[in-house]
Amino acid sequence: MQSKLSDIELIEQTLGGNQSAYADLVKRHQRFVFTLALRFAKGREDAEEIAQDCFIKAYRSLSSFQQQSKFSTWLYSIVYTTAMTFLRKKRVDTASIDDDESYIQIESKPSGYDEYNVENKSRSYYLNQAIEQLLPDDATIITMFYKGEQSLEEIAQAMGIEANTVKVKLFRARQRLKERLERNLKHEVNELI
Amino acid sequence: MNSIEEKLWNYIDGTCLPDEQKAIAVLIEQDEVYQKKYNELLQLNTEFAAMELDEPSMAFTYNIMETIRTENARQPLKAAIDKRIITGIAAFFVVSLAVLLIYVLSAVNWSAGSGFKMPQELNVTQIKVTHISNYFTGPVVKGFLFFDVVMGLFLMDNYLRRKNVAKQR
Repeated sequence: MQSKLSDIELIEQTLGGNQSAYADLVKRHQRFVFTLALRFAKGREDAEEIAQDCFIKAYRSLSSFQQQSKFSTWLYSIVYTTAMTFLRKKRVDTASIDDDESYIQIESKPSGYDEYNVENKSRSYYLNQAIEQLLPDDATIITMFYKGEQSLEEIAQAMGIEANTVKVKLFRARQRLKERLERNLKHEVNELI
Repeated sequence: MNSIEEKLWNYIDGTCLPDEQKAIAVLIEQDEVYQKKYNELLQLNTEFAAMELDEPSMAFTYNIMETIRTENARQPLKAAIDKRIITGIAAFFVVSLAVLLIYVLSAVNWSAGSGFKMPQELNVTQIKVTHISNYFTGPVVKGFLFFDVVMGLFLMDNYLRRKNVAKQR
């Protein structure tokens, strides 16, 4: 069972030598950090490596955390930097979805998925599929905004850009996501017909 | 100028000014185009907010904590020792040496040399020289020496370790 203590209390306990407090902190944020990493890596193994690397980096620099922002914002800035470094290293194709000829290929799903039809697939499946097709930056902004409980200013801080830029990027990312979602749904319907 | 969609997203997010917020609310109520678009975006917003987060593998937390534990175990002893302990040991040595020095100096008969007269018949065999081992019989002195040896070995071990690490690099 996860601790009811706040992030700050868990950090203080960790700095005091209680490592299990950090394990609680990891459990609390692991799903979000892993999802963010997936926005960049696309493969689960790579995403898990990035996410683990982020938590280890965060542990090492925990004493330098000034508590001027939320721990999650600080952690997400580490995720963003680590993921960007990963992208640079791996040279993953990050072609724009505007270019229909070269959009990112979706990772093949586990067996069994092919048997699903449009009726069985939930809207969230299509949403996740559409998010995977976005540029990493767009997918990250959307994920941070909707699931990370981050304001535009906090997202800007994590990504090292201006809040206004985030606002514009969020608007564009929503538009692209909407288009991609509609296109995917339309494609599925056409296949059935 | 902002598009209808941009205005409506700002309205939904609550990022526009209070006056703008009121104006858009009126437009949604009165203008059918705004109303239709607003409902569409609101539905999208609800869908986006319901997006599911992915779950890492079961061993995720365990792997992180294991890496951290291994890293901590690899840290040299020097980093784990509190500086106050080192200061305490240094203070102990300084005090011990000072006490020993005072004890030895107080044992010396300083007046023995004053008014020295050469005996008429110098008989060297009669001079009694205290054997050095007499000074090392007390348990306190023995304990002190034992502690010195242990600390000496500790420092040597530390020195050799550092040398070893430097070689590996």
